[in-house]
Amino acid sequence: MNIRCARPEDLMNMQHCNLLCLPENYQMKYFFYHGLSWPQLSYVAEDEKGHIVGYVLAKMEEDSEDEPHGHITSLAVKRSHRRLGLAQKLMDQASRSMIECFNAKYVSLHVRKSNRAALNLYTNTLKFSISEIEPKYYADGEDAYAMKRDLVSFSQQNDTLPADASTFYETKTPEERKRLAAIAQENRNMEE
Amino acid sequence: MPSSQPLPPKENALFKRILKSYEQKQYKNGLKFAKQILSNPKFAEHGETLSMKGLTLNCMGRKEEAYEHVRRGLRNDLMSHVCWHVYGLLQRSDKKYDEAIKCYRNALKWDKDNVQILRDLSLLQIQMRDLEGYRDTRYSLLRLRPGQRASWIGFAMAYHLLHDYDNALQVLDDFRKTLTKSSYDYEQSELLLYMHQVMFEGGLYQKSLSHLQQFEDQICDKLSLMEARAQLYLKLDRLIEAEDEYRKLLKRNPDNRQYYFGLEEARGLISEDQKLQLYADLRESFPRAMLARRIPLSYASGEKFRSLVDQYLRHALHKGAPPLFVDLRSLYTQPGKAAIIEELLLGYIASLIKCERFDEKDVKDCPSEPASAILWTYYYLAQHYDFHKDSAKALHYINLAIDHTPTLIELYVTKGRLFKHAGNPIEAYRCLDEAQSLDTADRYINSKCAKYMLRANLIQEAEMTCSKFTREGVSAMENLNEMQCMWFQTECAVAYQRMGKWGEALKKCHEVERHFVEIIEDQFDFHTYCMRKMTLRAYVGLLRLEDVLRSHPFYFSAARCAIEVYLHLHDHPLQDEPTKEELQEASLPPVELKKLRAQQRKAAKRAEQEKQEKLLQQQREQREREQREREQRDPHSHHQKRAHNQQDKEADAPPVDDLQPQKLARVEDPLEQAIKFLQPLQEWGSNHIETHLLAFEVYLRKGKPLLMVQSVKRALKVDPNHPQLHSCLIRLHRFLSNGDLLSENVSHPAVAAVLNSETQPLFSHHQEAEQLNKEFLEQNINSLPHLLQGAKMMCFLNPTREAEAVALVSRFSDAYQGVTVQTCTDILKAFQKGEFGETGRQEVDNFKTLYHQRMPHAVDFFSGQQVAPSANHNHAVEEALTNHVSNLTVEDGTN
Repeated sequence: MNIRCARPEDLMNMQHCNLLCLPENYQMKYFFYHGLSWPQLSYVAEDEKGHIVGYVLAKMEEDSEDEPHGHITSLAVKRSHRRLGLAQKLMDQASRSMIECFNAKYVSLHVRKSNRAALNLYTNTLKFSISEIEPKYYADGEDAYAMKRDLVSFSQQNDTLPADASTFYETKTPEERKRLAAIAQENRNMEE
Repeated sequence: MPSSQPLPPKENALFKRILKSYEQKQYKNGLKFAKQILSNPKFAEHGETLSMKGLTLNCMGRKEEAYEHVRRGLRNDLMSHVCWHVYGLLQRSDKKYDEAIKCYRNALKWDKDNVQILRDLSLLQIQMRDLEGYRDTRYSLLRLRPGQRASWIGFAMAYHLLHDYDNALQVLDDFRKTLTKSSYDYEQSELLLYMHQVMFEGGLYQKSLSHLQQFEDQICDKLSLMEARAQLYLKLDRLIEAEDEYRKLLKRNPDNRQYYFGLEEARGLISEDQKLQLYADLRESFPRAMLARRIPLSYASGEKFRSLVDQYLRHALHKGAPPLFVDLRSLYTQPGKAAIIEELLLGYIASLIKCERFDEKDVKDCPSEPASAILWTYYYLAQHYDFHKDSAKALHYINLAIDHTPTLIELYVTKGRLFKHAGNPIEAYRCLDEAQSLDTADRYINSKCAKYMLRANLIQEAEMTCSKFTREGVSAMENLNEMQCMWFQTECAVAYQRMGKWGEALKKCHEVERHFVEIIEDQFDFHTYCMRKMTLRAYVGLLRLEDVLRSHPFYFSAARCAIEVYLHLHDHPLQDEPTKEELQEASLPPVELKKLRAQQRKAAKRAEQEKQEKLLQQQREQREREQREREQRDPHSHHQKRAHNQQDKEADAPPVDDLQPQKLARVEDPLEQAIKFLQPLQEWGSNHIETHLLAFEVYLRKGKPLLMVQSVKRALKVDPNHPQLHSCLIRLHRFLSNGDLLSENVSHPAVAAVLNSETQPLFSHHQEAEQLNKEFLEQNINSLPHLLQGAKMMCFLNPTREAEAVALVSRFSDAYQGVTVQTCTDILKAFQKGEFGETGRQEVDNFKTLYHQRMPHAVDFFSGQQVAPSANHNHAVEEALTNHVSNLTVEDGTN
């Protein structure tokens, strides 16, 4: 299995994978919109033959008053390729790029209330937590959990430097910010 | 630029209000102001006002009137840039881009520095890939608006797309110098990386490396930066640095195959041992990385391979990794590897049964394996034997697996696939239906089930199945079409084709074709958007993707189906039931008939117009209704809306033709329609031999010998020994040696002579087609697919040799190659269709019996009684079987 950043020529095959796996579908243009607005944030997993078996389609939430944060529009792994940890690998790569390129401080997503498997993955494996319930979010009337994952701690665990350190650690006191940046840098130095 | 027909102040003010109303989409007001000007007899023919009225009408969906007004306006004021611009906008809204470009150019003749027109023109030029025109227009825009950054970027990009790297870089660099350096600026980072791309494509590696080093701090896309640097170090032969860079990349993402290959290249590793040593080290550094264990399996051989694959298999079977076989399948092309894998797996099973370990020797040192280990081993073996077309063993193992764990969905999917490969689409679909019933909440399984239903020609059932996951309130077909679900539509098309529902099949093919048109159209908004966003590398990627969009496999499958259907419709045009009117017409004298036809055409046109208008109205209402509903009950669509803006804007555009199956099936020019689907295949699918075989069939029927020769030659390049190619050669030979046929289609005798001399080498200089066929049969005496084609041609050339031809393909020999379900079904169909005359028809039952023994699951070889439903067959299965058997008698247009 090969995991890499998605390119424009992958987008059609991502749409195909999406249509096979998930009930929420989008026209090609919406895939283009992601790939051409935030080319660093979407990733694919492909098999030996180069067929896409999983993907994460992600974006930045820019129009909000909130801190800069990423959003997972869609994440799918073909049933035939589960149990390989692909979802986690895709999410980790995308999260990293969100921090590096866009200074994202957290990443959000929605999940169907009834989707226990996905909820389990997001909560236990990917360290997301429920931030609120959005009633009747889906077309068929089902509620969604809005979930968040903190990327500041992710950046420290994964030696990732944010695009703009001065604002990335802003919510902390200046001393705290300095300390965190130093830890990240030290971790990097040690690894190298 | 002053108007050539200036209006007095009062009217001029009104005119400005028309423009404003147009911009603000207040079309009714626009029309009111236009009326105020035009109702004054002095200005009743004022060109620009008429044009603007037309443009406004167009936005209200009144296309016909719009064109009338715009044309009249233009006629009245040919020197007005407004009139030309408006005419261009109208053509653009009708997607007649070439025409629109001409209009904009005319507009610029009268107002050469009009920035708005230049921008509109540049968009169309890039959309149509008129790159030189684009460059010139972008130059004018830069000259007029040097303060805007899009002016610089657009101009530079024009050079880049024309492969003029030096000029592109010059412009980019001039622009970069105007930027202020800041610590974090995503757009600047993108610009710097785009500059690298231009340098790299221009072969300026050293320059590019210095560029990246100079601006390292300003580039926030660290991944692209590292990948670019690694690649450059390789190009510049700075291997130590390249290795270092690739190791850093691997640390970041040890699941990227390219990084491993980059590292190998940097290390200059060639021999098996060297590479295996590298991967042994990498496994230590990245214990969780699958690729560090998987890649060396392709390099290792012999005992080394055995030991590596042994570890790999045990690890996966222990953990339970469903895609293990798919992962290893590519090794099966390397001699000996499949046998080693088989041996190991059979050993595991024996040992697991005995002592719950993969190896009896492990009893003392290792804990016992989980109960699932043997399950996954059975599962692997089933797929392994299926790959080798040993359906008996494959079924044996999948049944063992199912007995072990009857609730595992994957097992039923695999069992279904086994039946599919063994020629039983009905049993296959039943397995998938069972799988689906075990987890109705999973769309992947649902989709697979629908696909298998389509393979069994159960189209309604497939639609029903899909509808569990499509939007409520619309039919599944409609929703899948709206969502551009091409796999479904293509499978549907092929199912209809199998069932002889030609019009329905074509409808699906055209729907897929329309998706491609739409996706090409999708580019439009991004021409300006990406320059604003500065995501220029992705944008160039989009342009390059769109250039070859129809090379996508989805297009290939749909186009192949469409071409085959059109060929069939050419050979067997559908007869309408003659109506009473038609019978009357038959007795009319020619002049009267002509009049009648003209009247009918007019009436039809009127009816069509009315229908379109009605449809338009309905669509508009429905869209509004849907929009309202969606906003109320579907917040999820909010984030889709932005992407759909363009469509909302064009909401008033006229509806496209309905695709009506009956009309499609009664096509007047099937070959021309086939060529429309063929051309993209010839351009982008020339590595598929089928492209050229289909092209031959089309050109044979069009009587185009030069194009026939071209198709044959291209096919020869792909696969000179393809069985079907032989049939093309023989028919080409016959065509050329038949004087009447040739003289009918080639006007000059010199061309005929050239053709003959050109084709002599193709025919191995045989004067006689019979001789050519004889040699072909002798050379391929043990290949069933070749024998089939040779035998067909034997009958084609000389119908008295039917019995001999039938005998050639109705034997069985263990020495035969290519004895697949597909080939045998092809033979059976050829018998049934009468390609081997009466003798062939009489052979059908014998042939079925002969191959039923060898392919017991293939439904095509079932005898009459077996088709009768058994007690546990439900209604759908009965229907499928009847469909399936009956469609064997349906003629297939191409062979």
